[in-house]
Amino acid sequence: MNTQDTAHIRNFSIVAHIDHGKSTISDRILELTHTVEERDMEQQLLDSMDIERERGITIKSNAVRVMYTADDGEIYQFNLIDTPGHVDFTYEVSRSLAACEGAVLVVDATQGVEAQTVSNANLAMNANLDIVPAINKIDLPSAHPDEVKLEIEDELAIPADDAACVSGKTGEGIHDLLEAIVFLISPPKGDASAPLKALILDSYFDEYRGVVATVRIFDGSVKKGDTLQMMQAGQSFLVDGVGVKRPAEVLVDELSVGEVGFVVTGLKDPAAVRVGDTLTYHDRPCDAALPGYREAKPMVYTGIFPIDNKDYENLRDALEKLRVNDPSLVWDPETSVALGFGFRVGFLGLLHMEVVKERLEREFDLDLIATSPSVDYHVYQTDGTMLEVRSPQDLPDVTRIDHIEEPYLSAKIIVPPEYTGAVMQLAIDHRATMRDMIHLSQKSVEMHFDMPLAELILDFFDQLKSRTKGYASLDYEFADYRPSDLVKLDILLSGDEVDALSFIVHRDKAYNLARGLCDKLKEIIPRQLFEVPIQGAIGNKIIARSTVKARRKDVLAKCYGGDISRKRKLLEKQKEGKKRMKAIGSVDVPQEAFLAILKVED
Amino acid sequence: MSVGALYLHIPFCHAKCAYCDFDSRGLCGRALDEAAATYVAQLERRINAFGECGALADVRTVYIGGGTPTVLGERLPALVRRVRSWCEPVEFTCEANPESLSEDLARELAEAGVTRISLGVQSLDNGELARIGRLHDAACALAVIARVKRLGMSVSCDLMCGLPGQTGESWRKTLKGALAAGPDHISVYPLTVEEGTPLARQVAQDPSLEPDEDFQAVCMEAARDALTAAGYQRYEVASYARPGHACQHNIAYWTGVGYLGLGRSAAGMLTGAEYLELANLFPSQGDACNLACISPDDRIRIVQRNDGATRFDVERLRAHEAVAEDLMLGMRMSAGVSPELLERARALFGPDHVDPTITTACREGLAAWRDGRLVPTERGWLMGNELYGLMWGLASRV
Repeated sequence: MNTQDTAHIRNFSIVAHIDHGKSTISDRILELTHTVEERDMEQQLLDSMDIERERGITIKSNAVRVMYTADDGEIYQFNLIDTPGHVDFTYEVSRSLAACEGAVLVVDATQGVEAQTVSNANLAMNANLDIVPAINKIDLPSAHPDEVKLEIEDELAIPADDAACVSGKTGEGIHDLLEAIVFLISPPKGDASAPLKALILDSYFDEYRGVVATVRIFDGSVKKGDTLQMMQAGQSFLVDGVGVKRPAEVLVDELSVGEVGFVVTGLKDPAAVRVGDTLTYHDRPCDAALPGYREAKPMVYTGIFPIDNKDYENLRDALEKLRVNDPSLVWDPETSVALGFGFRVGFLGLLHMEVVKERLEREFDLDLIATSPSVDYHVYQTDGTMLEVRSPQDLPDVTRIDHIEEPYLSAKIIVPPEYTGAVMQLAIDHRATMRDMIHLSQKSVEMHFDMPLAELILDFFDQLKSRTKGYASLDYEFADYRPSDLVKLDILLSGDEVDALSFIVHRDKAYNLARGLCDKLKEIIPRQLFEVPIQGAIGNKIIARSTVKARRKDVLAKCYGGDISRKRKLLEKQKEGKKRMKAIGSVDVPQEAFLAILKVED
Repeated sequence: MSVGALYLHIPFCHAKCAYCDFDSRGLCGRALDEAAATYVAQLERRINAFGECGALADVRTVYIGGGTPTVLGERLPALVRRVRSWCEPVEFTCEANPESLSEDLARELAEAGVTRISLGVQSLDNGELARIGRLHDAACALAVIARVKRLGMSVSCDLMCGLPGQTGESWRKTLKGALAAGPDHISVYPLTVEEGTPLARQVAQDPSLEPDEDFQAVCMEAARDALTAAGYQRYEVASYARPGHACQHNIAYWTGVGYLGLGRSAAGMLTGAEYLELANLFPSQGDACNLACISPDDRIRIVQRNDGATRFDVERLRAHEAVAEDLMLGMRMSAGVSPELLERARALFGPDHVDPTITTACREGLAAWRDGRLVPTERGWLMGNELYGLMWGLASRV
């Protein structure tokens, strides 16, 4: 493939409210440009992991090159960059958007502008992208594209007169959309003769080739045999090959300014290649690294334990295998009285945790327990030393604690003005303080908060979405550590403390949380042969309690000739169910009990 | 060879009840008549085939269940006579719903040789009956109990607790009413919500309809108190009988006696040796159970899969699994399990497995020793699954 002048390159991503048809439009673009032949089409081609397809979310970034012959007779190179779609991956999203000049904003012709349309448009505008509106599903009888155009102009202040009206289902209008991309999205700028300056959007691991980095070239070019250096991580390597995805990988001679593709690094340590880092020549580095890099530090830590302790080594192997394609994963061994041997694993957020846990269970056939999430606390002890505590169990005795500091974030929330009150209340409930509020337009307000990370990781995002009917967009970054009045809340089952259920919480919230947690555990823990008292305690003081009553009846009373096999199987199923629970003392505790904290309502 | 018990399944009802997941089609009028004619003809051919090879000669108990066998009308006494032509059972039970057991049909059944009627009474509260889709009312049920008794047959009533809308008060009334009618046998079943039934759909929409286990426990205890006070003996977790009226057929199921099940969805249980002998009567069972792999002391359970008796599900239990199953079933009965069965279990599983299991059952208050037999306790009745699970769990220890 020949190197192309930048005037014929368009780098963009497609953003949409959920179910407005982002994936089908991507699929049609691949089809119409003959990138993928119809017979080879699979749905949601860009989402390669099973979990991504099932949940309809994108976890990994992906960049596919499409060649489009426009009506002007010229051939254009489109790089379609798929971005993750969740706040856990805020940073990854920001890097993907930084690689684009434009965004296609998909709006459902039957639904109109919706919450995430607004928050996605905000993200794209903040990244200074050219926005191409596309009104989808015009094949449906209830489509009303003209009204939707007005909505886009009114609510998003985006000109929509020439918006492409398309059907991802029939392919109608996709050609118009491709033309709009050519005309409305700026070509990339950059200096072809300058030293290489490339942004790493993502990376993945290949057993044979080592780490493969997805990159966007801002200046210069790269080819096989170049010696490159990563400006933040510092490591150098010899380029083993460069190529693009169409969507199958194709090697090319060179990636040059404005292009998006992959670089085979040959590096065997996945952690050496970091999203947001800048690639340049080892011998002739560029003047400065690209802005916006930050280390992907885990935000939240949870214990991950195999239900069967025999699986401990298997769990370690599985984590190592996953880390190869997810360098943000970090872990240390952890021991729990209740759960035995496991690991304290760091995650980017709770969705990341859920996805990793699900992959561990599914791909490696493990039954796992995840414990309450924690942030990284700084515990200053009376002897003057500071202890980093990521697990409630590691908290020293109160008499040895001078004070505890917790991580704070600067959070930016953009909402329509009618929701500012709801957001303020939510913020107060989550110990956040507002710094300021800026009216961006009649339709949107930007609010800035300082808030503890621990409050964000629990349910803040979900609640924000529900209280603003989904209209809010959230962006945050780490700010600093601040002293807080934190206590350890313990949970006792049948009088015995269960370390894996402990939780670090602000003193003001401890009582409500303890009550909520005791009630939630009462719902989750099944009735057993005997009564199970549940208590919440701070130190020796019991502050909440509930009781799981003893089960009084559990019998399949009807059991004649035809029933016997079936009833036997039912008994086996009951036994299997018990096996998936953790026996703590004599109490059978289901997996979800250890994450009950996430289900406690305020 | 011959089995000791014979079960015949009649998969027809006039209407299916909301909770029922048994194999049965709701049919009326001509549709029922045509379906029944074909079905009964096929069933009689099966009976004759087994009779001709001597497999029915020693049958002691027969049970015709369903569905609602009484919807067969005239065909039912004929079927009874057909069975009687091959054997002389001491107990011959026929299931019936009150609304379909007319005076004439009851008399014909008695004359044909039915000795016992098992009636689906379920409740004596008309509201409760209507809610679960029963076609009869309390008065009808009581009249039929009297009718069956008058004709000299033994009569059993099924009662259910945990029905939608049922209260402690209405349950006591049902028990009292049933006792006043004086059946020879009463079965007490807690309602269970079975997957795929209309009741399951109702419960999914309105979780308050889900039977409350605490309430069912109270009902089961109330039934035990009322029935034992009235002279009925509890011989199984759900079964109460006047002296001499325990259901011999059901006891066969729970004590490892071999039985044949004929008709769609009917289950039979044979030893490996018996099965090999009758293998040509269970055609085309596929590769799932290769005859060559069956050993004489296996336990084979066969379920007929279609009307024409050309497809069967065959399940093979090894000798040790059969013993674990017998222990599990034995613990359903007041008589519990015999020292001989326990000895056999020790020989197969090793005392290291059997005795700790028994210890656990006793420690948890589920079982106790009585006259050398291991029997269920009161708690063992209500928490039966714990106890049965322990016993069946032995099977996986080998």
